[in-house]
Amino acid sequence: MTLKADWEIVGSPIDPDSDERLFFTDHEWDTIEAAAARIIPTDHDPGAREARVVVFIDRYLSGIDYIFAAADGSGFLKLTGKFADAWRARMFDMQQTYRDGIKALDAVARDQFSKAFKDLGESEQDLVLEAFSGAPKPGPVTLGSSLAVGTFLQGTFDQGLPFFEALCLHTRQGFYCDPVYGGNKDQIGWKIIGFPGPKSLKDTMDGTYSTTEYFVEEYDWNELVPHLGKAG
Amino acid sequence: MRHAKKPDQVDAIVVGLGATGATAAKVLSEAGLKVVGFDRGPWLSAKDHYSGDELKFVNRNYLWPDPNLFPRTLRHDETSAAERFPFSPTPQLVGGGTNHWAGWVPRPRESDFMVRSLHGDIEGASLADWPIRYEHLEPYLTKVEWEFGISGIAGADKYEPFRSKAYPSEPLRPTKFGKRFYEACNKMGINGFPIPHAMVTNNHKGRDPFNTTSFWNQYGDPSTARSNTLTTFIPEAVATGNFELRSESFVREITVGKDGRATGVVYIDPDGNEVVQEAKVVVLGLGAIESARLMLMSKSPQFPDGLGNSSGMVGKNATFHEYVFAVGLFDQEIDDPLHGWAGNYISGGTFEFYETDENRGHIGGCLISASQTCHPINWVFPGRPQWGQSLKDADRSYFNFAMKIGAILHDMPVESNRVDLDPTVKDAWGLPVARITHKPHANDVAMSKWQVDKNAEILQVAGARKTVPVYLDRMTGNTCHQHGTARMGTDPSKTVLNEWCQSHDVDNLFVVDGSCFPTSTGVNPTLTMMANAWRVSEYIADVWSKGREEHITLAG
Repeated sequence: MTLKADWEIVGSPIDPDSDERLFFTDHEWDTIEAAAARIIPTDHDPGAREARVVVFIDRYLSGIDYIFAAADGSGFLKLTGKFADAWRARMFDMQQTYRDGIKALDAVARDQFSKAFKDLGESEQDLVLEAFSGAPKPGPVTLGSSLAVGTFLQGTFDQGLPFFEALCLHTRQGFYCDPVYGGNKDQIGWKIIGFPGPKSLKDTMDGTYSTTEYFVEEYDWNELVPHLGKAG
Repeated sequence: MRHAKKPDQVDAIVVGLGATGATAAKVLSEAGLKVVGFDRGPWLSAKDHYSGDELKFVNRNYLWPDPNLFPRTLRHDETSAAERFPFSPTPQLVGGGTNHWAGWVPRPRESDFMVRSLHGDIEGASLADWPIRYEHLEPYLTKVEWEFGISGIAGADKYEPFRSKAYPSEPLRPTKFGKRFYEACNKMGINGFPIPHAMVTNNHKGRDPFNTTSFWNQYGDPSTARSNTLTTFIPEAVATGNFELRSESFVREITVGKDGRATGVVYIDPDGNEVVQEAKVVVLGLGAIESARLMLMSKSPQFPDGLGNSSGMVGKNATFHEYVFAVGLFDQEIDDPLHGWAGNYISGGTFEFYETDENRGHIGGCLISASQTCHPINWVFPGRPQWGQSLKDADRSYFNFAMKIGAILHDMPVESNRVDLDPTVKDAWGLPVARITHKPHANDVAMSKWQVDKNAEILQVAGARKTVPVYLDRMTGNTCHQHGTARMGTDPSKTVLNEWCQSHDVDNLFVVDGSCFPTSTGVNPTLTMMANAWRVSEYIADVWSKGREEHITLAG
């Protein structure tokens, strides 16, 4: 059996401009593209639509060919053995979550506005998402306040998430992921929040991509840590 | 099950090749013992397999255990049903958690070894002293700092106990949020200092630390900046010619002979064959959860409740630390950017609030530190709007204007907080998984609240315009620190291991990971664990394998 350490690199980076659908039907594609555009909307900056989030999600849901990019971004790893089985089962469940979720979203849209979700105006779509999520549309972050929250987990895995939570997470991932995965086209997501990001994953493997300019240029440890001076 | 041909007996088997197992493999093979090491995970190549891919490393579990293959379950007390939960998901591969870790390696304090002497008994907890003291570990802390490669400034930490040698490498230059932290500390009279870091910034031992990508915590490092046993102790063990590594090989049982001594292990090789490997000594370094699980799975007529478990204490008094913190948001109209994603995660920290202060109403304390807020998909802003214009505005306004200060919780040992075998859930090999039963002690809750409020206060002094405190509400294992499931001590009826991490019941079984910790300490445990593994491995090679026995007697 091929060991995980020896997974082959196959395929190539995902083309964000592709209109080919590997998983979604046309209706599903249009619905997800429209919903993602309400999760990260287009304003004076591009949003999920321009970043090609729908391509990212379609490829992810298509099976297990686009789970892990090769380290250098030249293609994707071909999973084997128990890992492949686990991911296949997981993606089967996630496909179902999306298929059922899109139907449920349309049902709410038809119930409230007698149209499919994708055919609604933006504010109507927001009302549907609000009803669907069971919570008011999030309001702006305000400064001058404190907000206590509970436990924090490192790394967010999508297994078992309900449709709306999965869609919000996947939209975020498609907006900010390395472009090898088909989203974050032309590094749109990174540009609007001011993250420099590497030109390619390969550049993070050999020292080409460096972020030292974002560290402090001039400093004196004795000033930052006065105890050093006292000890000396 | 197919059976493969039985390989020859070796001197030592090491199970689990992370921080401590790899240390044991190095020390034992360098001492001339013939060693076979097992890891259930892959033997990756850092330079070929690692890069700055956030989705792969942080969201899709390339290094974290796949929860379908390696499930765990969690419940909060004996009477509730356990649910599947990826509790303390330390990566399972050669190098273990040193592949993905940020690499905090502060030294423990003298008080950490004698919590019961200092505080007596507190209700609901099972405080204990260690059977060793700081002075027994100090030479090995120094060995690990130099052989593994640690950067830091000796003398910067006002509260550090005695050290015999400075660090081999200088720290990274400060990040912008690190500078803010130091400045706030100085205003408040707090001793901020650069937290010792498991990385080198020089060519120590021929290394080439070119990685300045800021892809650090949870990512693998393709350069040799990070101190990872995969790229340090493992190749050093291999170079002796005495060490053979079998990766993607799952040890499912430690076998015992009629005399009750360990004879070796049974493992499942990558092709699904069941193989028996015999050895004179078996050393466990799987981490406190999986070492306890393997001991509990190794049932025999001599040990019906699990190997080395005549005390019934295997799995009990488990402690896990929990990362609690506060995030501060700054105003982009007024403040300079903090670039909280930049740096190698770790920055300035302090031991100012580490020792007990009875005015706080609880015992113990924590190391606190400023650290990276990380990358675009997952940057740390708990309570971030989930969707819509507010989400986009929040990312745009605060991604570069946030910092965080956190604490790892010095949690109290409680006997009912434990690891055992789940009665129903099995892993991908059909074996019972570890079930965690855990409820924080009242002292844990009070300590986390106090420390997080202190974090928020420092953020405010640093200029934050909004703070988001994250308190403890349950234990999730989010630090991947695991300790205490096979405590060491002198009483075989109350502890599992003696002061050499040798089973009281089985003289040729040693456990070198955090399982042996009687109490959790308030520091990131890996340096202490590795130093202890080195100490124990030296004892195995120099004393035990020569048929001798020694004991440590504590003064007073």
